[in-house]
Amino acid sequence: MTQNILVELSDALADAAEKAGKATVLVNARRRMPASGIAYAADLILTADHIVEREDDIKVVLADGTEIPAKVAGRDAGSDLAVLKLERAAAPVAEVSKSAARLGQIALVLGRPSRDGIEASLGTVSAIGGPIRTGRGGMLERYIRTDSISYPGFSGGPLVAADGTVLGVNTSGLANGAAITIPADIAWRTAETLAKHGRIKRGYLGIRSQTVEVSAAAQKALKREQGTGLLIVGVENDSPASQGGFIVGDILVAVAGVPVLHHDELFTRLNGDVAGKSTPIEILRGGQPQTVNVKVGER
Amino acid sequence: MNFNGTFTQVIGDLVEQVMPSLVIVRGHRYGAGAGIVWDSNGLILTNNHVVGRHTPVVILQNDGEYESRLIARDPDVDLALLSIEAAGLTPLKPAPVSPRVGEMVFAFGHPWGQRNTVTRGIVSALVSAQNRRGDKLPIVRSDTPLAPGNSGGPLVNAKGEVVGINAMIVGGDQSVSIAASVATDFVRKAISKRAEPVPNDVI
Repeated sequence: MTQNILVELSDALADAAEKAGKATVLVNARRRMPASGIAYAADLILTADHIVEREDDIKVVLADGTEIPAKVAGRDAGSDLAVLKLERAAAPVAEVSKSAARLGQIALVLGRPSRDGIEASLGTVSAIGGPIRTGRGGMLERYIRTDSISYPGFSGGPLVAADGTVLGVNTSGLANGAAITIPADIAWRTAETLAKHGRIKRGYLGIRSQTVEVSAAAQKALKREQGTGLLIVGVENDSPASQGGFIVGDILVAVAGVPVLHHDELFTRLNGDVAGKSTPIEILRGGQPQTVNVKVGER
Repeated sequence: MNFNGTFTQVIGDLVEQVMPSLVIVRGHRYGAGAGIVWDSNGLILTNNHVVGRHTPVVILQNDGEYESRLIARDPDVDLALLSIEAAGLTPLKPAPVSPRVGEMVFAFGHPWGQRNTVTRGIVSALVSAQNRRGDKLPIVRSDTPLAPGNSGGPLVNAKGEVVGINAMIVGGDQSVSIAASVATDFVRKAISKRAEPVPNDVI
Protein backbone atom coordinates (compact mmCIF):
# COMPACT_ATOMS: atom_id res chain seq x y z
CA MET A 1 0.00 0.00 0.00
CA THR A 2 1.78 3.12 -1.16
CA GLN A 3 -1.13 5.53 -1.41
CA ASN A 4 -3.85 5.93 1.17
CA ILE A 5 -6.14 8.71 2.35
CA LEU A 6 -3.72 9.72 5.10
CA VAL A 7 -1.00 10.30 2.51
CA GLU A 8 -3.52 12.11 0.29
CA LEU A 9 -4.59 14.39 3.15
CA SER A 10 -0.96 15.05 4.05
CA ASP A 11 -0.13 15.92 0.43
CA ALA A 12 -3.21 18.14 0.20
CA LEU A 13 -2.15 20.08 3.30
CA ALA A 14 1.36 20.55 1.93
CA ASP A 15 -0.17 21.67 -1.41
CA ALA A 16 -2.39 24.16 0.45
CA ALA A 17 0.61 25.55 2.35
CA GLU A 18 2.55 25.86 -0.90
CA LYS A 19 -0.29 27.54 -2.79
CA ALA A 20 -1.18 30.09 -0.10
CA GLY A 21 2.49 30.42 0.83
CA LYS A 22 3.22 32.00 -2.55
CA ALA A 23 0.98 34.94 -1.63
CA THR A 24 2.27 35.14 1.97
CA VAL A 25 5.05 37.67 2.35
CA LEU A 26 7.50 38.84 4.97
CA VAL A 27 6.87 42.37 6.25
CA ASN A 28 9.80 44.11 7.86
CA ALA A 29 8.43 47.25 9.49
CA ARG A 30 9.54 46.96 13.09
CA ARG A 31 12.70 46.61 15.08
CA ARG A 32 11.94 43.16 16.45
CA MET A 33 11.57 40.14 14.21
CA PRO A 34 9.64 40.69 10.98
CA ALA A 35 6.01 39.59 10.64
CA SER A 36 3.81 38.46 7.77
CA GLY A 37 1.45 39.85 5.16
CA ILE A 38 -0.86 38.72 2.36
CA ALA A 39 -0.69 39.90 -1.25
CA TYR A 40 -4.14 41.36 -1.72
CA ALA A 41 -3.21 42.71 -5.15
CA ALA A 42 0.03 42.46 -7.12
CA ASP A 43 1.16 45.76 -5.62
CA LEU A 44 -0.80 45.77 -2.34
CA ILE A 45 0.01 43.87 0.85
CA LEU A 46 -2.57 43.41 3.59
CA THR A 47 -1.04 43.04 7.04
CA ALA A 48 -1.69 43.70 10.72
CA ASP A 49 -1.48 47.35 11.73
CA HIS A 50 0.35 46.66 14.99
CA ILE A 51 3.37 45.15 13.24
CA VAL A 52 3.89 48.35 11.23
CA GLU A 53 5.93 50.27 13.78
CA ARG A 54 7.59 52.61 11.32
CA GLU A 55 6.38 54.19 8.11
CA ASP A 56 9.81 54.66 6.54
CA ASP A 57 12.10 51.97 5.26
CA ILE A 58 9.46 49.23 5.06
CA LYS A 59 10.66 46.13 3.26
CA VAL A 60 8.52 43.30 1.92
CA VAL A 61 10.07 39.97 0.95
CA LEU A 62 8.10 37.85 -1.51
CA ALA A 63 7.98 34.05 -1.51
CA ASP A 64 10.68 33.91 -4.21
CA GLY A 65 13.02 35.97 -2.02
CA THR A 66 12.62 39.27 -3.91
CA GLU A 67 12.84 42.24 -1.57
CA ILE A 68 10.66 45.23 -2.50
CA PRO A 69 10.42 48.56 -0.65
CA ALA A 70 6.89 49.50 0.41
CA LYS A 71 4.96 52.48 1.75
CA VAL A 72 1.88 52.62 3.97
CA ALA A 73 -1.18 53.11 1.74
CA GLY A 74 -3.59 53.05 4.62
CA ARG A 75 -3.88 51.84 8.18
CA ASP A 76 -6.46 51.49 10.90
CA ALA A 77 -5.54 50.73 14.48
CA GLY A 78 -9.14 49.93 15.44
CA SER A 79 -9.37 46.94 13.13
CA ASP A 80 -5.60 46.24 13.31
CA LEU A 81 -5.28 46.22 9.53
CA ALA A 82 -2.86 48.04 7.27
CA VAL A 83 -2.31 48.10 3.53
CA LEU A 84 1.19 48.54 2.13
CA LYS A 85 1.88 49.64 -1.41
CA LEU A 86 4.81 47.95 -3.11
CA GLU A 87 7.20 49.96 -5.24
CA ARG A 88 6.35 47.62 -8.11
CA ALA A 89 3.58 45.12 -8.73
CA ALA A 90 5.24 41.74 -8.39
CA ALA A 91 3.40 39.70 -5.76
CA PRO A 92 1.38 36.57 -6.61
CA VAL A 93 -2.13 37.42 -5.38
CA ALA A 94 -3.91 35.35 -2.71
CA GLU A 95 -7.11 33.53 -3.58
CA VAL A 96 -9.91 34.22 -1.15
CA SER A 97 -12.09 31.31 -0.06
CA LYS A 98 -15.53 31.33 -1.67
CA SER A 99 -17.19 30.20 1.52
CA ALA A 100 -16.78 31.53 5.04
CA ALA A 101 -14.97 29.52 7.72
CA ARG A 102 -17.04 26.80 9.37
CA LEU A 103 -16.79 25.55 12.92
CA GLY A 104 -14.77 22.33 12.98
CA GLN A 105 -13.12 22.91 9.61
CA ILE A 106 -9.41 22.11 9.49
CA ALA A 107 -7.25 25.09 8.64
CA LEU A 108 -3.60 26.04 8.35
CA VAL A 109 -2.08 29.12 9.90
CA LEU A 110 0.72 30.45 7.71
CA GLY A 111 3.45 32.98 8.31
CA ARG A 112 6.71 34.12 6.79
CA PRO A 113 8.66 35.69 9.65
CA SER A 114 12.04 34.73 8.19
CA ARG A 115 13.73 34.26 4.85
CA ASP A 116 14.05 30.54 5.63
CA GLY A 117 10.69 29.84 4.00
CA ILE A 118 7.01 29.53 4.71
CA GLU A 119 5.95 28.38 8.19
CA ALA A 120 2.71 26.65 9.13
CA SER A 121 0.71 25.09 11.90
CA LEU A 122 -2.48 23.07 11.75
CA GLY A 123 -5.67 23.45 13.69
CA THR A 124 -9.41 23.47 13.47
CA VAL A 125 -11.78 26.41 13.49
CA SER A 126 -12.81 26.26 17.14
CA ALA A 127 -15.04 29.32 17.45
CA ILE A 128 -16.69 31.97 15.33
CA GLY A 129 -17.87 34.90 17.37
CA GLY A 130 -18.46 38.63 17.54
CA PRO A 131 -19.08 41.45 17.52
CA ILE A 132 -16.30 42.31 19.96
CA ARG A 133 -14.63 45.52 20.91
CA THR A 134 -11.05 45.19 19.84
CA GLY A 135 -9.33 46.93 22.70
CA ARG A 136 -7.80 49.26 20.12
CA GLY A 137 -10.88 51.44 19.85
CA GLY A 138 -12.51 49.43 17.11
CA MET A 139 -15.27 46.92 16.70
CA LEU A 140 -14.89 43.61 14.94
CA GLU A 141 -18.21 42.29 13.59
CA ARG A 142 -16.99 38.70 13.45
CA TYR A 143 -13.85 36.83 14.38
CA ILE A 144 -12.54 33.31 13.91
CA ARG A 145 -10.62 31.45 16.59
CA THR A 146 -8.58 28.32 15.92
CA ASP A 147 -6.69 25.88 18.13
CA SER A 148 -3.54 26.14 16.03
CA ILE A 149 -0.23 27.50 17.27
CA SER A 150 0.66 31.03 16.20
CA TYR A 151 4.41 31.30 16.09
CA PRO A 152 6.15 34.64 16.63
CA GLY A 153 5.87 36.79 13.50
CA PHE A 154 2.66 35.14 12.27
CA SER A 155 0.56 38.32 12.64
CA GLY A 156 -0.60 39.55 9.24
CA GLY A 157 -0.45 36.06 7.72
CA PRO A 158 -3.41 34.08 6.40
CA LEU A 159 -5.69 31.42 7.84
CA VAL A 160 -5.92 28.92 5.00
CA ALA A 161 -8.53 26.30 4.12
CA ALA A 162 -7.47 22.81 3.04
CA ASP A 163 -7.75 23.88 -0.61
CA GLY A 164 -5.20 26.68 -0.14
CA THR A 165 -7.70 29.54 -0.23
CA VAL A 166 -7.61 32.31 2.38
CA LEU A 167 -10.21 32.35 5.17
CA GLY A 168 -8.89 35.37 7.02
CA VAL A 169 -6.02 37.42 8.41
CA ASN A 170 -4.37 36.34 11.67
CA THR A 171 -3.38 38.81 14.33
CA SER A 172 -2.35 38.78 17.95
CA GLY A 173 -3.03 42.52 18.19
CA LEU A 174 -6.77 42.54 18.84
CA ALA A 175 -7.47 40.26 21.78
CA ASN A 176 -4.83 40.93 24.45
CA GLY A 177 -2.13 39.02 22.61
CA ALA A 178 -4.24 35.95 21.86
CA ALA A 179 -4.29 35.08 18.18
CA ILE A 180 -7.59 35.57 16.39
CA THR A 181 -8.47 35.73 12.72
CA ILE A 182 -10.25 38.59 10.96
CA PRO A 183 -12.59 36.91 8.43
CA ALA A 184 -11.53 37.46 4.82
CA ASP A 185 -14.69 39.30 3.73
CA ILE A 186 -14.26 41.89 6.50
CA ALA A 187 -10.51 42.16 5.96
CA TRP A 188 -10.78 42.56 2.18
CA ARG A 189 -13.56 45.14 2.53
CA THR A 190 -11.47 47.09 5.03
CA ALA A 191 -8.41 46.75 2.80
CA GLU A 192 -10.30 48.26 -0.13
CA THR A 193 -11.27 51.28 1.95
CA LEU A 194 -7.74 51.63 3.29
CA ALA A 195 -6.20 51.41 -0.17
CA LYS A 196 -8.63 54.04 -1.46
CA HIS A 197 -8.95 56.47 1.44
CA GLY A 198 -5.99 55.68 3.67
CA ARG A 199 -8.13 55.33 6.76
CA ILE A 200 -11.43 54.03 8.09
CA LYS A 201 -14.13 56.58 8.73
CA ARG A 202 -16.10 56.16 11.93
CA GLY A 203 -19.38 57.85 12.74
CA TYR A 204 -19.85 60.02 15.82
CA LEU A 205 -23.00 61.25 17.56
CA GLY A 206 -21.83 62.86 20.80
CA ILE A 207 -24.06 61.07 23.27
CA ARG A 208 -23.53 59.15 26.46
CA SER A 209 -26.01 56.37 27.01
CA GLN A 210 -26.85 53.31 29.02
CA THR A 211 -28.80 50.19 28.15
CA VAL A 212 -32.34 50.16 29.52
CA GLU A 213 -35.40 47.97 29.09
CA VAL A 214 -38.00 49.02 26.59
CA SER A 215 -41.45 48.79 28.20
CA ALA A 216 -44.13 46.56 26.75
CA ALA A 217 -46.24 49.60 25.87
CA ALA A 218 -43.33 51.22 24.06
CA GLN A 219 -42.62 48.00 22.18
CA LYS A 220 -46.22 47.99 21.09
CA ALA A 221 -45.86 51.56 19.86
CA LEU A 222 -42.68 50.54 18.01
CA LYS A 223 -44.65 47.68 16.42
CA ARG A 224 -41.81 45.24 17.11
CA GLU A 225 -40.30 43.20 19.90
CA GLN A 226 -37.23 44.96 21.20
CA GLY A 227 -36.18 44.23 24.77
CA THR A 228 -33.65 47.02 25.21
CA GLY A 229 -32.55 50.39 23.88
CA LEU A 230 -30.04 53.07 24.80
CA LEU A 231 -31.17 55.72 27.30
CA ILE A 232 -29.43 58.98 26.48
CA VAL A 233 -27.92 60.33 29.70
CA GLY A 234 -25.77 63.07 28.17
CA VAL A 235 -25.59 65.11 24.96
CA GLU A 236 -22.39 66.97 24.13
CA ASN A 237 -22.73 70.63 23.18
CA ASP A 238 -22.52 71.34 19.45
CA SER A 239 -22.39 67.64 18.70
CA PRO A 240 -24.30 66.01 15.83
CA ALA A 241 -26.75 64.71 18.45
CA SER A 242 -27.47 68.15 19.95
CA GLN A 243 -27.84 69.65 16.48
CA GLY A 244 -30.25 66.83 15.65
CA GLY A 245 -32.35 67.80 18.68
CA PHE A 246 -31.61 64.84 20.98
CA ILE A 247 -32.38 65.45 24.62
CA VAL A 248 -31.46 63.59 27.77
CA GLY A 249 -34.14 61.01 28.49
CA ASP A 250 -34.64 59.93 24.87
CA ILE A 251 -34.17 56.22 24.27
CA LEU A 252 -32.29 55.42 21.06
CA VAL A 253 -33.78 52.27 19.49
CA ALA A 254 -32.64 52.15 15.84
CA VAL A 255 -30.10 53.60 13.41
CA ALA A 256 -30.87 53.71 9.69
CA GLY A 257 -33.74 51.28 10.18
CA VAL A 258 -31.71 48.68 12.10
CA PRO A 259 -32.72 48.10 15.76
CA VAL A 260 -29.98 48.94 18.28
CA LEU A 261 -30.17 47.01 21.55
CA HIS A 262 -26.70 47.54 23.04
CA HIS A 263 -23.72 49.90 22.90
CA ASP A 264 -21.76 47.48 20.76
CA GLU A 265 -24.50 47.52 18.15
CA LEU A 266 -24.54 51.31 18.08
CA PHE A 267 -20.78 51.20 17.58
CA THR A 268 -21.19 48.78 14.67
CA ARG A 269 -23.95 50.89 13.11
CA LEU A 270 -21.94 54.12 13.28
CA ASN A 271 -19.56 52.93 10.57
CA GLY A 272 -18.09 54.58 7.50
CA ASP A 273 -21.37 54.16 5.61
CA VAL A 274 -23.22 56.69 7.77
CA ALA A 275 -20.32 58.97 8.74
CA GLY A 276 -20.87 62.48 7.37
CA LYS A 277 -24.36 61.61 6.14
CA SER A 278 -27.84 62.52 7.25
CA THR A 279 -29.10 59.34 8.90
CA PRO A 280 -32.54 58.49 10.32
CA ILE A 281 -32.27 57.61 14.00
CA GLU A 282 -35.29 56.26 15.82
CA ILE A 283 -35.86 57.25 19.42
CA LEU A 284 -38.54 56.85 22.07
CA ARG A 285 -39.57 60.16 23.58
CA GLY A 286 -42.26 60.04 26.25
CA GLY A 287 -42.90 56.44 25.24
CA GLN A 288 -43.64 57.39 21.63
CA PRO A 289 -41.45 56.48 18.66
CA GLN A 290 -40.03 59.34 16.67
CA THR A 291 -37.49 59.46 13.87
CA VAL A 292 -34.88 62.20 13.87
CA ASN A 293 -32.56 62.84 10.95
CA VAL A 294 -29.06 63.47 12.23
CA LYS A 295 -26.02 64.40 10.21
CA VAL A 296 -23.64 61.87 11.74
CA GLY A 297 -20.22 63.29 12.52
CA GLU A 298 -16.97 61.86 11.28
CA ARG A 299 -13.93 60.83 13.28
CA MET B 1 -17.69 5.16 1.58
CA ASN B 2 -16.97 4.76 5.23
CA PHE B 3 -14.58 7.69 5.49
CA ASN B 4 -14.19 7.62 9.27
CA GLY B 5 -13.57 3.91 9.32
CA THR B 6 -11.02 4.12 6.53
CA PHE B 7 -9.24 7.11 8.02
CA THR B 8 -9.01 5.62 11.48
CA GLN B 9 -7.79 2.40 9.92
CA VAL B 10 -4.94 3.99 7.96
CA ILE B 11 -3.74 5.79 11.07
CA GLY B 12 -3.92 2.50 12.95
CA ASP B 13 -1.94 0.85 10.15
CA LEU B 14 0.69 3.57 10.31
CA VAL B 15 1.12 3.14 14.06
CA GLU B 16 1.34 -0.64 13.66
CA GLN B 17 3.95 -0.21 10.94
CA VAL B 18 6.19 2.17 12.90
CA MET B 19 5.81 1.03 16.51
CA PRO B 20 7.97 -2.14 16.28
CA SER B 21 10.94 0.09 15.45
CA LEU B 22 10.56 2.28 18.54
CA VAL B 23 12.79 1.39 21.50
CA ILE B 24 13.50 2.75 24.96
CA VAL B 25 17.05 3.93 25.56
CA ARG B 26 17.75 3.99 29.28
CA GLY B 27 20.86 5.75 30.38
CA HIS B 28 22.33 4.82 33.72
CA ARG B 29 21.87 8.25 35.18
CA TYR B 30 19.80 10.48 32.97
CA GLY B 31 16.44 8.73 32.75
CA ALA B 32 15.06 7.31 29.56
CA GLY B 33 14.71 8.50 26.02
CA ALA B 34 13.62 6.93 22.79
CA GLY B 35 15.52 5.29 19.96
CA ILE B 36 14.97 3.97 16.47
CA VAL B 37 15.82 0.53 15.10
CA TRP B 38 18.01 1.57 12.16
CA ASP B 39 18.81 -1.86 10.76
CA SER B 40 17.62 -5.39 11.32
CA ASN B 41 20.92 -6.47 12.90
CA GLY B 42 20.77 -4.28 15.96
CA LEU B 43 21.85 -0.75 15.03
CA ILE B 44 19.93 1.73 17.21
CA LEU B 45 19.90 5.46 16.54
CA THR B 46 19.20 7.91 19.35
CA ASN B 47 20.15 11.37 20.60
CA ASN B 48 23.64 11.91 21.94
CA HIS B 49 22.20 13.61 25.03
CA VAL B 50 20.13 10.51 25.83
CA VAL B 51 23.27 8.35 26.01
CA GLY B 52 25.05 10.26 28.75
CA ARG B 53 28.35 9.00 30.13
CA HIS B 54 27.78 5.23 30.04
CA THR B 55 26.40 3.06 27.29
CA PRO B 56 22.70 2.66 27.91
CA VAL B 57 20.31 -0.27 28.04
CA VAL B 58 18.01 -0.68 25.03
CA ILE B 59 14.53 -2.09 25.59
CA LEU B 60 12.67 -3.45 22.56
CA GLN B 61 8.92 -3.59 22.05
CA ASN B 62 8.94 -7.24 23.20
CA ASP B 63 10.40 -6.00 26.54
CA GLY B 64 13.76 -7.61 25.75
CA GLU B 65 16.53 -5.65 27.48
CA TYR B 66 19.95 -5.38 25.84
CA GLU B 67 23.26 -3.90 26.94
CA SER B 68 24.46 -1.74 24.07
CA ARG B 69 27.80 -0.85 22.56
CA LEU B 70 28.47 2.72 21.50
CA ILE B 71 29.42 2.82 17.81
CA ALA B 72 29.60 6.59 17.38
CA ARG B 73 28.40 9.79 18.93
CA ASP B 74 28.48 13.42 17.86
CA PRO B 75 27.32 16.20 20.19
CA ASP B 76 27.31 18.65 17.28
CA VAL B 77 24.41 16.85 15.63
CA ASP B 78 23.12 15.38 18.91
CA LEU B 79 23.11 11.86 17.52
CA ALA B 80 24.50 8.56 18.78
CA LEU B 81 24.59 5.13 17.18
CA LEU B 82 24.35 2.08 19.42
CA SER B 83 24.57 -1.58 18.62
CA ILE B 84 22.83 -4.46 20.40
CA GLU B 85 23.21 -8.22 19.97
CA ALA B 86 19.92 -8.86 18.25
CA ALA B 87 18.80 -9.85 14.78
CA GLY B 88 15.60 -9.89 12.75
CA LEU B 89 14.54 -6.46 14.00
CA THR B 90 12.18 -4.18 12.05
CA PRO B 91 14.00 -1.03 10.96
CA LEU B 92 12.47 2.24 9.81
CA LYS B 93 13.31 3.75 6.43
CA PRO B 94 14.40 7.35 6.15
CA ALA B 95 12.30 9.46 3.77
CA PRO B 96 14.15 9.79 0.45
CA VAL B 97 13.45 13.52 0.18
CA SER B 98 13.10 16.28 2.71
CA PRO B 99 9.52 16.93 3.91
CA ARG B 100 7.26 19.77 2.77
CA VAL B 101 5.85 22.45 5.05
CA GLY B 102 2.26 21.46 5.84
CA GLU B 103 2.89 17.72 5.58
CA MET B 104 1.43 15.56 8.35
CA VAL B 105 3.93 14.09 10.79
CA PHE B 106 3.72 11.73 13.75
CA ALA B 107 6.14 11.60 16.66
CA PHE B 108 6.75 8.28 18.41
CA GLY B 109 8.32 8.20 21.84
CA HIS B 110 7.87 8.02 25.58
CA PRO B 111 7.03 11.59 26.71
CA TRP B 112 7.29 11.98 30.49
CA GLY B 113 7.87 8.22 30.66
CA GLN B 114 4.52 7.45 29.03
CA ARG B 115 5.50 4.46 26.94
CA ASN B 116 4.80 4.20 23.20
CA THR B 117 3.03 7.49 22.74
CA VAL B 118 2.09 8.88 19.33
CA THR B 119 1.51 12.62 18.80
CA ARG B 120 0.40 14.29 15.59
CA GLY B 121 1.28 17.54 13.87
CA ILE B 122 2.42 19.07 10.63
CA VAL B 123 5.81 20.27 9.44
CA SER B 124 5.88 23.93 10.49
CA ALA B 125 9.17 25.06 9.03
CA LEU B 126 12.36 23.79 7.50
CA VAL B 127 15.15 25.78 9.07
CA SER B 128 18.75 25.37 9.99
CA ALA B 129 20.49 25.77 13.30
CA GLN B 130 24.15 26.55 13.71
CA ASN B 131 26.16 24.18 15.84
CA ARG B 132 29.38 24.81 17.79
CA ARG B 133 31.50 24.03 14.75
CA GLY B 134 29.62 26.71 12.84
CA ASP B 135 28.03 24.12 10.56
CA LYS B 136 24.43 24.52 9.49
CA LEU B 137 22.29 21.72 10.81
CA PRO B 138 19.01 21.15 8.89
CA ILE B 139 16.10 21.11 11.30
CA VAL B 140 12.46 20.11 10.90
CA ARG B 141 10.23 22.23 13.12
CA SER B 142 6.72 20.96 13.72
CA ASP B 143 3.64 21.73 15.78
CA THR B 144 3.72 18.16 17.12
CA PRO B 145 3.61 18.13 20.92
CA LEU B 146 6.92 16.72 22.24
CA ALA B 147 8.20 16.32 25.77
CA PRO B 148 11.26 14.88 27.50
CA GLY B 149 11.17 11.16 26.67
CA ASN B 150 10.52 11.91 23.00
CA SER B 151 14.24 12.58 22.56
CA GLY B 152 15.81 10.18 20.10
CA GLY B 153 12.47 8.95 18.77
CA PRO B 154 11.33 9.21 15.17
CA LEU B 155 9.23 11.86 13.49
CA VAL B 156 7.61 10.02 10.59
CA ASN B 157 5.54 11.14 7.60
CA ALA B 158 2.17 9.73 6.51
CA LYS B 159 3.98 6.84 4.84
CA GLY B 160 5.85 5.91 8.02
CA GLU B 161 9.22 7.10 6.73
CA VAL B 162 11.56 8.92 9.09
CA VAL B 163 11.73 12.67 8.38
CA GLY B 164 13.44 13.64 11.63
CA ILE B 165 14.93 12.55 14.93
CA ASN B 166 13.14 14.34 17.78
CA ALA B 167 15.55 16.36 19.84
CA MET B 168 16.26 19.60 21.65
CA ILE B 169 12.85 19.84 23.17
CA VAL B 170 12.57 23.46 24.15
CA GLY B 171 9.10 22.93 25.56
CA GLY B 172 5.89 24.64 24.61
CA ASP B 173 5.38 25.41 20.97
CA GLN B 174 8.78 24.75 19.49
CA SER B 175 9.19 21.11 18.62
CA VAL B 176 12.46 20.45 16.90
CA SER B 177 13.68 17.37 15.06
CA ILE B 178 17.01 16.79 13.40
CA ALA B 179 16.47 16.24 9.67
CA ALA B 180 16.64 12.61 8.54
CA SER B 181 19.36 13.49 6.03
CA VAL B 182 21.67 14.37 8.93
CA ALA B 183 20.93 11.00 10.50
CA THR B 184 21.67 9.02 7.34
CA ASP B 185 24.96 10.91 6.86
CA PHE B 186 25.91 10.32 10.47
CA VAL B 187 25.12 6.60 10.29
CA ARG B 188 26.94 6.17 6.95
CA LYS B 189 30.09 7.80 8.33
CA ALA B 190 29.90 5.84 11.57
CA ILE B 191 29.60 2.54 9.74
CA SER B 192 32.35 3.26 7.21
CA LYS B 193 34.67 4.21 10.03
CA ARG B 194 33.86 0.96 11.78
CA ALA B 195 34.63 -0.98 8.58
CA GLU B 196 38.11 0.51 8.29
CA PRO B 197 40.78 -2.05 9.11
CA VAL B 198 41.95 -1.69 12.66
CA PRO B 199 45.71 -1.03 12.70
CA ASN B 200 47.72 -3.91 14.11
CA ASP B 201 48.41 -3.39 17.72
CA VAL B 202 52.06 -3.34 18.57
CA ILE B 203 52.52 -5.89 21.22
